[in-house]
Amino acid sequence: MIDVTLYLLIPVITGTVLYLSNSHHVRRLALLVHFGLFAAAVQGFVYVKTHGAFVTSLGQWGAQVGIYMRVDMLSMTLLMLTAFMFAMMLLYEYNSTHTNQLYLFLFMVLQALVSAIFLSNDLFNIFVLIEVATITVAILIMFKQDRQSVYDGIVYMLVNIVAMNLFLFGVAFMYRTFGVLDMHAIGSKMHQIQNPVALIIPYSLMITAVALKSAIMPLFSWLPKAHGTPSAPSAVSAILSGLYVKTGVYLFVRINAMFAGTLDTWQFFLMVGFITAVIGFLLAISQKDIKLILAYHTISQIGLIMVGLNYPTDYAFWGGVYHILNHAFFKSTLFLGAGIVIDVYGTRNIWEIKGVFRKMPAVALASIMAVLGITGAPFFNGSISKYLIQSGTSGSVVEWGILLINLGTIISFIKYSTIFFGSSPADCQSRSQVDPWKKLSLLVMGAMCLIGGIWGQELIGLLFDQVMTIGVMTQLEKSVTYAITLVAGFVIYKQFVLKTNLFYKLSLFELDFNGICLSLTGFMVAMMVWLRVFVV
Amino acid sequence: MDKLNGETVSILLFFVGLYGVVSRRNIIKSVISIIVMETAIILFFLTIHFQEGSVPPIGENLSGAVADPLPQALMITTIVIGIAITAVALVMANSVYHKYGTSNWRELMIKRREDDHD
Repeated sequence: MIDVTLYLLIPVITGTVLYLSNSHHVRRLALLVHFGLFAAAVQGFVYVKTHGAFVTSLGQWGAQVGIYMRVDMLSMTLLMLTAFMFAMMLLYEYNSTHTNQLYLFLFMVLQALVSAIFLSNDLFNIFVLIEVATITVAILIMFKQDRQSVYDGIVYMLVNIVAMNLFLFGVAFMYRTFGVLDMHAIGSKMHQIQNPVALIIPYSLMITAVALKSAIMPLFSWLPKAHGTPSAPSAVSAILSGLYVKTGVYLFVRINAMFAGTLDTWQFFLMVGFITAVIGFLLAISQKDIKLILAYHTISQIGLIMVGLNYPTDYAFWGGVYHILNHAFFKSTLFLGAGIVIDVYGTRNIWEIKGVFRKMPAVALASIMAVLGITGAPFFNGSISKYLIQSGTSGSVVEWGILLINLGTIISFIKYSTIFFGSSPADCQSRSQVDPWKKLSLLVMGAMCLIGGIWGQELIGLLFDQVMTIGVMTQLEKSVTYAITLVAGFVIYKQFVLKTNLFYKLSLFELDFNGICLSLTGFMVAMMVWLRVFVV
Repeated sequence: MDKLNGETVSILLFFVGLYGVVSRRNIIKSVISIIVMETAIILFFLTIHFQEGSVPPIGENLSGAVADPLPQALMITTIVIGIAITAVALVMANSVYHKYGTSNWRELMIKRREDDHD
């Protein structure tokens, strides 16, 4: 039997110890503890795989009364991902000078909170965890307290709190209807509901909050600022963009599973996901700040994940889930790499950074592996998940949509890749020294992109118990498609993107706090209308 | 007067708060609106399973309807979180005001954008 509470307690205790003493010995110990935690997560996964899902009661109360943690394959996979990512971030920050005690403490607390969100099965518990995580993340964003990050932090925090208020109101309606807060119990009582109209309001309230958490259209305005704020440590940006935003997607899956059979909204979210992906890459292309390109690109990838999760075939769904993992690897590699590049060059403007490959080969190599992963190059992890989504949707118009999204991804990363080539400005010609710990963690994360591609089929079988076959012929066919898309992307980039003024205008598009709240309300109303007209 | 119970009042109050965050441009007023929304939720939770004449769930051999203790427990947590959030939000608002010299969301956004283009 695995004691899941340890996965939550150990990071908090480690963080507290680090807060008390930040000497090198303690840091080494913390690093060891984190790799141990990852090993424990793997062990837990093996347990779940052989024994099946299990529940743990906190406080020894009976079923449907106490707070329950439900552990199944999906939550355990994401827990492994969390443990791995945070171990890598700690490795990355091992020698950093800016990491003081408070920073490491908050970072470890965030790890515990994210793990708890993945394991928790109680709606109110999830609300509490997300509220605390919101405060933690807001403090981490504005950690250096300069002008820009203070604004980014307060917008992030207030917007998320408004959204979580909607969530809590939805939970109140659920409690009124069902009398329990346990997601699994609610799911099993769902068929007893005679009149699904009563569920429209709670569903819309909760799903709006979750949609804002996962930053889908039109609720994404807070994300680029929060994830790409100039002064935030790059490990924070990497965790936020790679992992934390996935808690929203995960809750989306869980809540929809809870309402399955009564309220099915896959058409709505398929559409919204597609629009999110397109708008995301358009905005990504229009940025010139390298961190913002990556942050906007996260939105686009979330859109792709949403398309996969909501298309009603197994292939597309598991492709979407696999893409959650893949996106965590390549996006955090890119953010960490971008952080090092920004430190060395002293600028975030993409046109002023040239020749990273010559200057920092290891960083460039890891970043290029991540770029190949994110654009879905053959033998990299992105190709597997994109292929699964695509073959799951084959024969419908969605398949073409995915090709379009991939074209946009490629164009935005052609723009991003310009930083690797060319020659550096005269004043920084020589090779620059990068901290070996940072290199190590970057290269490991980059290698994960390749591993996830080469053994993609096996990994999916291992992690999700799904048999997906990808033949040699399809690999070949995919490579041809990729090459064609790459050429098309290159031509469009040279002939259109560089010459038009449209993208500059797009980059000025932004909502203030009131605008985001208005779009939140609008999304909620749209959800209610959609449910009333098309579903119930 | 049957319609004027805790539930309807709290739903109205919630949307008053939502209107506040959508339409008020001042940071402090936004924080107040968030508190209004939270108060509405607390009122809603406390009234949903309220029964006239129910006894508190304390002791053994209780007779008659027993009050549902869970909402109270949940709402104490919500109140505590609400206080923490209000405190953090006000500190942040203060620091934003010191850095930018304004507490208007629209002006803040414009100034923040100017920062980016420097």
